[in-house]
Amino acid sequence: MNFRLMKAIAAVAALAAVSVPSVVRAQEFERPVRIVVPFAPGGTSDILARLISPKLSEAIGQPVVVENKPGAAGNIGADSVAKAKADGHTLLLMDIGSLAVAPSLFTDLTYDVQKDLAPVGMVMFGPYVLAVNPSVPAKTVPELVAYAKANPGKLAVANSGVGALNHITAVALARDLGIEWKNVPYKGGAAASRAVVSGESNVIINGSTATLPFVNNKQLTGIAVTGEKRMQALPEVETFKEAKLPLNDAGTWQGLLTTGNTPPETVARLNSELNKILAMPEIQEKIAEQGGMVRPGAPDDVKAWLDTNIKNWGGIVTASGIKPN
Amino acid sequence: MELFDNLLLGLSTALQFNNLLYCLIGVVIGTAIGVLPGIGPIPTIALLLPFTFGLEPASSLIMLAGIFYGAQYGGSTTAILVNVPGETSSVVTCLDGHEMAKQGRAGPALAIAAISSFFAGTVATIIIAVLSLPLADLAMRFTAVEYFSLLVLGLIAAVVLAHGSVMKSLAMVFLGLLLGVIGIDVNSGAARMTFGVPSLADGLDFVPVAMGMFGLAEIIANLERPSVQRVVSQKLHDLIPSRADLKAAFPAMVRGTFLGSALGVLPGGGAALPPFSSYALEKKLAKDPSRFGKGAIEGVAGPEAANNAGAQTSFIPLLTLGIPANALMALMIGALMMQGIQPGPQVMTEQPELVWGVIASMWTGNLMLLVINLPLVGLWVSMLKIPYRLLFPAIVLFCCIGTYGISNSAFNVWLMLGCAVLGYFFIKVGVEPAPLLLGLVLGPQLEENFRRAMQLSDGDPSVFLTRPISAVLLGVVALMLIAMLSPAVLRKRKEALAE
Amino acid sequence: MTNLRLGGPDLGFGAFLVLVAAGTFAATWNLPIGTAAEMGPGYFPWAIALILLAFGLFFTVKGLTRSHAGIEPMQWRPITLIGIAVALFALVVEGLGLGLASLATIIVAAWASRESRFFEVIVFALFMSAAAILLFIKVLALPVPLWPW
Repeated sequence: MNFRLMKAIAAVAALAAVSVPSVVRAQEFERPVRIVVPFAPGGTSDILARLISPKLSEAIGQPVVVENKPGAAGNIGADSVAKAKADGHTLLLMDIGSLAVAPSLFTDLTYDVQKDLAPVGMVMFGPYVLAVNPSVPAKTVPELVAYAKANPGKLAVANSGVGALNHITAVALARDLGIEWKNVPYKGGAAASRAVVSGESNVIINGSTATLPFVNNKQLTGIAVTGEKRMQALPEVETFKEAKLPLNDAGTWQGLLTTGNTPPETVARLNSELNKILAMPEIQEKIAEQGGMVRPGAPDDVKAWLDTNIKNWGGIVTASGIKPN
Repeated sequence: MELFDNLLLGLSTALQFNNLLYCLIGVVIGTAIGVLPGIGPIPTIALLLPFTFGLEPASSLIMLAGIFYGAQYGGSTTAILVNVPGETSSVVTCLDGHEMAKQGRAGPALAIAAISSFFAGTVATIIIAVLSLPLADLAMRFTAVEYFSLLVLGLIAAVVLAHGSVMKSLAMVFLGLLLGVIGIDVNSGAARMTFGVPSLADGLDFVPVAMGMFGLAEIIANLERPSVQRVVSQKLHDLIPSRADLKAAFPAMVRGTFLGSALGVLPGGGAALPPFSSYALEKKLAKDPSRFGKGAIEGVAGPEAANNAGAQTSFIPLLTLGIPANALMALMIGALMMQGIQPGPQVMTEQPELVWGVIASMWTGNLMLLVINLPLVGLWVSMLKIPYRLLFPAIVLFCCIGTYGISNSAFNVWLMLGCAVLGYFFIKVGVEPAPLLLGLVLGPQLEENFRRAMQLSDGDPSVFLTRPISAVLLGVVALMLIAMLSPAVLRKRKEALAE
Repeated sequence: MTNLRLGGPDLGFGAFLVLVAAGTFAATWNLPIGTAAEMGPGYFPWAIALILLAFGLFFTVKGLTRSHAGIEPMQWRPITLIGIAVALFALVVEGLGLGLASLATIIVAAWASRESRFFEVIVFALFMSAAAILLFIKVLALPVPLWPW
């Protein structure tokens, strides 16, 4: 019997027994800690939470449970964390881009993003890839713009839902480039990718995990990527900044937060444990496989990021009249 | 022969001792969670995901796939024994399977479900091996236009799910469509009929609606009747299907398998369509359609086969293109990525032993499921010996816990309660809930695809007729409508003449 | 002939559909309907509600004009007690935990049947609660409290 097999059997057995390494080290965490993921299992946030939870459990000597609370674009889960006891035992891991646009998208938001949630730290950033179906004869941004101007109404951009960050990015691009394209909403990024590969829609702005394989396989043509530098996997594709496109920082920003008014020392402890976990090579490797890079930092960095983008991205939402309700 | 080599390569992976063991673990867990109402494969797989990190990619995928199709086997057990459908596909199994159980034929119902699933699983494995590339290509030809036409076809077929009045069934389909409207509108983002309840934003969850209308409503109605001693026989020949049963079930099994294999490939509509359409087909082909809903064995064999075949071919888009057909396949992609495999079309050429190993494991897994499930039939049937006065409170409790577990909120429990009251009302006024449930499942996709098709065609409805696949599908719809309404018209005329 | 009267199931179902259609119009009156080419979020619900209204009127008229077997008389005990059992679970499970919620649900639900025996129910409830805790909390790790404390 090999080692891996033993490990798996042990894992299944552990499920039945819920055995937890109880190294009593810190008194700050006296109950199990929950990481709320406000989406269904299987997404990036969920995978990250399940990646981090065993390491966090080891560090704080308490079980760490991942809890999926999906619904209302993440607002149900975020609200439950905002209203939890402010002792750092309830954490929220999600794409904080959604949090940044929530106040301008949802007029009846039941919590205050800036007051009721306290940032713990940034986990990762995953850049966007702007790609087209090969039926669109364009390989660079100027070619795409020229095509759009010559063929009005021919381009349809698939997004992962009304008010999703890739929808907002598409709206901002059209506005800055002076072109028109249809914004076609899908239920989630995977459905949007499928639609552009099949040619139902023909432009997509989406995370690299969902787009790269198709670009490599020539089923999609890469046009530009977000982020500070070009993507290793696509060295010939220029960044939004090089192509003089707006929103070079658009993408998936996964952050860890907790309930607002949590004592600063608890937040600091969580932050230092998070950054220790993010420094582990195996975690960095797994995050790279998710198409992202780790972003260790202080809680205040996240706070500043949120403040900026609630203004910037939220401004685009308000200006363009994207309104889910 | 390349195909032969591929299957051999797959079998050599699937038959490794490790992989056989993981397959077994997967199907056992799958059967267990399938039997428990409400606890679906998705949360289970999410829970187990971290434990698969240490495994080889093929082993982890084989185990997760085993959980998925194992749950399909287990789900029909609960549907047949206690009329509680744990997922969309089991609703159809409830219709005739539970009727059979009531008549003391739970054993043959369970056995035929297992045999049909195994048969379908075997054929579907071969279909995947031979046809995955052309089928994947077909799936990519389906755009919003074709989906819309296919869904219309599915809804028209739903009418035959109930026996009795066509008009009442149609009304129930539309009622289901209306319930499907609840939630955030995908195309505009507007909240519709959510009455300010955030939990309604993503629409009604299927499971609490089904459990309320089937499981709980039936319990309430049962308690009103004077208790009858249930017929429970433990004799072996009452547990296994007779020769006549097998003869009746076999053609249904074959048709269900092929129908399910074709529909399963399509992303999106996948899970709901195969069993429903197979049931409709069997009822249409039957010499005496009135037996359906009253314990017809074809009504169990066909849908079960279709369901299992569809569950398996839904792996085709994932394995060949790296595109998830549903939420579950998205989880599988998550599992692949955790293994450092970029899902996508290149996996088939770069990791053939992984792809073909998983395909071959589906067959070994189905064999294990048959071996596990057939002996269990006796055990399950003996569960019916528990007096009903104890069995029903236990069902109520499991329904509550199951619905709570869907999104860890009490909201779904309240929803189930509301649907139980509604289902009780339907029993009282003599309408059946199955068409409503299909309307609820397909409605949101119908609207989404219709509006998307119209948006992309700049509001030109002729696309539905100019695209060939769509035109054929709509042609079938027209024929079915004519066939369905003409007997009614003829009968009316006869009645009028007689008076 | 007490069971044969006007109305009956068809009237009940018809009236229900009319009510649902009316409710839909009331709940969606402020959603933009749009045009067939550019449909708004209100288009689909309104179209379905209109069709349901037609069905509702059809069944109502049918129920009023033809005689039917009446609706079976309703018994209050099963529906009330099963309803309370489920409601109790929903109210209690997050605050007081799965253990107490399971006990309460089983005991109240069992009460719905005239055949239940007091001690048997108590023993069975204890057994089922223990089984539920073991299965859902220990094995499946359902994130729900076990006890109030």
